[in-house]
Amino acid sequence: MNINIQFLKGVNAMRKRKPLLLIVSAVLLLTTVLAACSNSNTNNSQESPSPSSASATPGNTGGDTKPVSDTWVFGSEPLEFSLYFHYGWVDYKGMDDYPATKWLKENKQLNITPIQANGSHSEKMTTMISGNMLPDVIWGNRFDADIDRLYEAGQLVAFDEYLEKYPNLLKWAGKEKLDLLRSPDGKLYKFPNWYTNSSTNTAGYAINKKIYRELGSPKLETLDDLYAYLVKVKEKYGDQVIPFETDRAEDGQGVAILYTAFKEGALYDSLGKQLLAVPNGDKLTSVFTDPTFRESQKFVNKLYREKLMTQDAFTQTDDMVLEKLMTGRVAVYASANVTDKANKAHLELSKTNPEDGYFVTWPFHKAGLDKNKIHPGGNDRLGWNVAVITKAAKDPEKIFAFLDWYTSPEGMNLQFFGPEGKNWKGFDENGYPIFTEQADPAEIAQIQTDNLDIMLVGNAAYIDPAKISFEKTLPEEKKNWQAKYQSEVTWPSGVDITEYKNLTPPADSELGTTQQHVENLFLQVFAETTQAKSEADIDKILDQAEKDAQSYGYNKLLEWRTEQWQEKRKILGLE
Amino acid sequence: MSEAATRKTIAGPSPQSRPRKKSALHRLWKQMDVQLMVWPGILLIFVFSYIPMYGVLTAFMDYNIFTAHRIFENPWVGFKHFEAFFDAPNFWQIMRNTVVISLLKFVIGFPAPIILALMLNEVRHMVFKRVVQTITYLPHFMSWVIVGGLVMSLLSADNGSVNILLKGVGAIDEPINFLSIKDYFWTILISTNVWKEIGFSSIVYLAAIAGVDQHMYEAADIDGASKFKQIYLITLPSIMPVIIIFMVLAMGNLLNAGFEDILIIAENPLLRPVADVIDVYVYRIGLQNQKYSFAVAVGLFKAVISVGLLTMANYLARRAGSSLW
Amino acid sequence: MRWKRLAFGDRVMVVMIYSFLILLSFTALYPFWNALVVSLNVGIDTAKGGITVWPRAFTLDNYKIVTNDDNLLNAFLISIYRTVAGTVLAIFMTALLAYGMTKTYLMGRQGYMVFFVFTMYFGGGLIPTFLLIRSLGLFDSFLVYIIPSLISVWNMIIFRTFFKGLPAGLEESAQIDGCSNWGVFFRIILPLSGPILATLGLFTAVAHWNDWFVPSIYILNEDLLPVQTVLRRLLNANIRDLSGLDSGSLSRIQNSQQFTTRSLVSATMMVVSLPIILVYPFLQKYFVKGVMIGSLKE
Repeated sequence: MNINIQFLKGVNAMRKRKPLLLIVSAVLLLTTVLAACSNSNTNNSQESPSPSSASATPGNTGGDTKPVSDTWVFGSEPLEFSLYFHYGWVDYKGMDDYPATKWLKENKQLNITPIQANGSHSEKMTTMISGNMLPDVIWGNRFDADIDRLYEAGQLVAFDEYLEKYPNLLKWAGKEKLDLLRSPDGKLYKFPNWYTNSSTNTAGYAINKKIYRELGSPKLETLDDLYAYLVKVKEKYGDQVIPFETDRAEDGQGVAILYTAFKEGALYDSLGKQLLAVPNGDKLTSVFTDPTFRESQKFVNKLYREKLMTQDAFTQTDDMVLEKLMTGRVAVYASANVTDKANKAHLELSKTNPEDGYFVTWPFHKAGLDKNKIHPGGNDRLGWNVAVITKAAKDPEKIFAFLDWYTSPEGMNLQFFGPEGKNWKGFDENGYPIFTEQADPAEIAQIQTDNLDIMLVGNAAYIDPAKISFEKTLPEEKKNWQAKYQSEVTWPSGVDITEYKNLTPPADSELGTTQQHVENLFLQVFAETTQAKSEADIDKILDQAEKDAQSYGYNKLLEWRTEQWQEKRKILGLE
Repeated sequence: MSEAATRKTIAGPSPQSRPRKKSALHRLWKQMDVQLMVWPGILLIFVFSYIPMYGVLTAFMDYNIFTAHRIFENPWVGFKHFEAFFDAPNFWQIMRNTVVISLLKFVIGFPAPIILALMLNEVRHMVFKRVVQTITYLPHFMSWVIVGGLVMSLLSADNGSVNILLKGVGAIDEPINFLSIKDYFWTILISTNVWKEIGFSSIVYLAAIAGVDQHMYEAADIDGASKFKQIYLITLPSIMPVIIIFMVLAMGNLLNAGFEDILIIAENPLLRPVADVIDVYVYRIGLQNQKYSFAVAVGLFKAVISVGLLTMANYLARRAGSSLW
Repeated sequence: MRWKRLAFGDRVMVVMIYSFLILLSFTALYPFWNALVVSLNVGIDTAKGGITVWPRAFTLDNYKIVTNDDNLLNAFLISIYRTVAGTVLAIFMTALLAYGMTKTYLMGRQGYMVFFVFTMYFGGGLIPTFLLIRSLGLFDSFLVYIIPSLISVWNMIIFRTFFKGLPAGLEESAQIDGCSNWGVFFRIILPLSGPILATLGLFTAVAHWNDWFVPSIYILNEDLLPVQTVLRRLLNANIRDLSGLDSGSLSRIQNSQQFTTRSLVSATMMVVSLPIILVYPFLQKYFVKGVMIGSLKE
């Protein structure tokens, strides 16, 4: 019945075209219809709601009485789908290119075929949409305008009916996080990556051990300590050492981190393009008039003018930053991801002298503030990006079943520690893997690096404690530098910012244009105030910026954001 | 009456002056061999350039890419997207930058390869000439990402070669942060461009010079004309048609001030007031947000101006004896 | 032409020209040479800076990694095929069109010209072009590299300008000898146009070789991707360390900690651009003066 209607609809649409095209399309359509018949019926349900498709789930949400044959077991039958990374800097290469997918191919009958952007992701997406040739699964930014557009066009598959059948996502992410991810129609379309309940912050400050030692290991806690230290560095090493390295300031990084040192509870994200606002009571207010921002930019500007910080902050490349760190030419390094480059530099510098390298210090604070209320970075409980299933997928339920398996402890352990047997065997009473005698930290590190790009639906809620339980089994000297400072410093110093995420208006709305203009304005002002000739200029620049921003409609944007923010607070139960 | 008479005088007593209607078809048939040279090109251009051209209509719509196959389902919005562009907060700044940067590129970048070609033409040492030609065309093959990285490390305030050099000769006391000072940007951009493309662009002029009749130089030598005079009186006039055509084409390109080079070299947001040109702006506001209609509208605006400029340039060129059409 | 016979002013000019050319060559060569040196230096050592004209820690490992990528070797072949086929066909089609357009008696010539020039400025944009390419069956086909770019209006204009500059007498005498227009094109025009054929052939070849956009939009099949697209993926990976390589390569990199993005990008750049760069020296013989004079005297 359902099939017949679809077929007729198709013929109707074809009638206007040429006969040959009609025949070809009819044959194609017939093939699709026939193919659809041989499969389980679930996929048709996406096209047009009909009684037969709905029979799969309703009524038995209770779960206990659910017939076993109804849920699909990943690995029981071959599964094939296409996967596209909606990014310019990373592509999914193929099943054989990552240890985890290679194993899945050999052991779980899984075959994921790649669709690659090769650096032109926005054009690629445009052509795929216009040509109606969407990939089955898209992995991309949680707030991506294209993904939202796919939702608006009804091209995404809602997960709601699968959530209880395949319980891992619901179990590990929890209801409230999934509620936050829901689209305006109240359904869930996005499968989160790296969702967690604990802190994930990696922003902070790293100190060069050798320089610190040579300067007599002074107390480094307040901004005054920091300033005095930088001056000492400059005196002793001159041009040879960058006292304060900010990383690429265009992305905020070290400059924006200093902002958080000036006020308890100040947010790094207040200077980020998705927020560009300062919470004040129950309102979001302008960043340009924020006294804390002015105070911190004056401090940054002082560092810049006195040549105590990177002069190239807004122009340097990643390579240039890494070079300075690796050659030990940086005294203090501040970055939104401090445990990454500093880790590489630490490994290199500690090779020649184990006493050298970097250590991550507790975030600096303005004298008089509570250092435990200073948060250089935030934790987003929803993690990073999302995977969505499009209506092009033949078997959305099976794909979801795979994603759910992949985010389960079984899937996570495969990605992090390899298949069960070599490095780990069985689970302990808390559900974490039991590591074997042969567990090799180098091999495990390698497995993680190799699988990094294919960790699509990371379950940080499960894997972070598992990682820590593995670290605990290691002797002191084998402990991972990165893991050590993350658990000791950066994680504890992070703050939950989930409520401030996704306050972005639709890109093609008027507010979207406002947001673009304000974002461009902010970036320019951010650089101008950093490099201003005098302190007085900073106020002038920011006053003018406030005027310009208002003329673009910044106030309306702030109002809209406040509204959205309050709604999120309600969902999160923060009211 | 008089019209016919005029036509007769122009056509003269040639065999083609038969009754008009018949002759057109007949003439076409007679020149069929030449028409057959042209028609495949016309067909290809028709298919690959004209068929997709309906896309310009999306400039006047709120185009939704999900309706690509049914373009007319989109609402017409008139000049909305053009107005959005003209109303941009810094529209005039963007236009100024576009015109200034492309004029600078034209004034300095256009003659540079001609001068290089003329210089190479004066080199008698064949091995030297070939080596120089090959080397100067190398930078064309370096991507802007690599060239940009190079420029940034050369001009870096922290241990950049240029600052070390200037400090070494005592020209400055403190390193200059070249890439964050507006006054330097145009100079840096234009010189990088000229440096990158000079060798590659000079090739076509070398080809033109290769066609100059050598007897003319021999005669000039005998007359005792200086090298400079020979360049001025023989080489330049001989390659002038090529220069003029390139100039006309360049005039039509006056709104294309560049994109990748600016995006990469002007990374510092401080430089935006002098670096934002049309294409960079469209990229930032339009494409990153998938504002398809907006981007098409700006493209159309550029095209209309370009064709105007081209027609003007061609009119001037026609008076100088060369013409595109 | 000997030095002694030159007047003083000419001598000054010659000296100035040579000095300028040497200076220019130096600035053009150094960055390229530096990239070559970086590609031959141990990556982690390069990251410490100070690599200029000679490698400090010589290694071929960067090249081993780059050429170990199976995709790259196949991509090379694709690049060569598309460049050779695309250039030969495009130059022939465009030159033929340009020669036809030189004929002043060609009916509709002015209209044709406007028809062509218009397309240099007005285009339909990405989506209509994509839909067209797909409905023509060129999507994910090698032919998408060749057919849409057969005619370049810009090249046609340049060809036409050069053809017009050829001595008219040659053509007339050939026609008297009974040559058709097509005969003249093949026997007189093409042989006489060495320099411009070489020039535009080179430009077209370089454009084909360097193109990464067409494959990234129109090609799905990994085996049809050219070397530039694979290189671009690598460059983009710059932001996220090394994720542009296949995991086999990546594991070696991580184990030994000897490679960096910069050294691999430099090595890839060498591998990718040297073949097309080396074409030019072989074309230079077409720029030698007197090619035409010789044939004129016949």
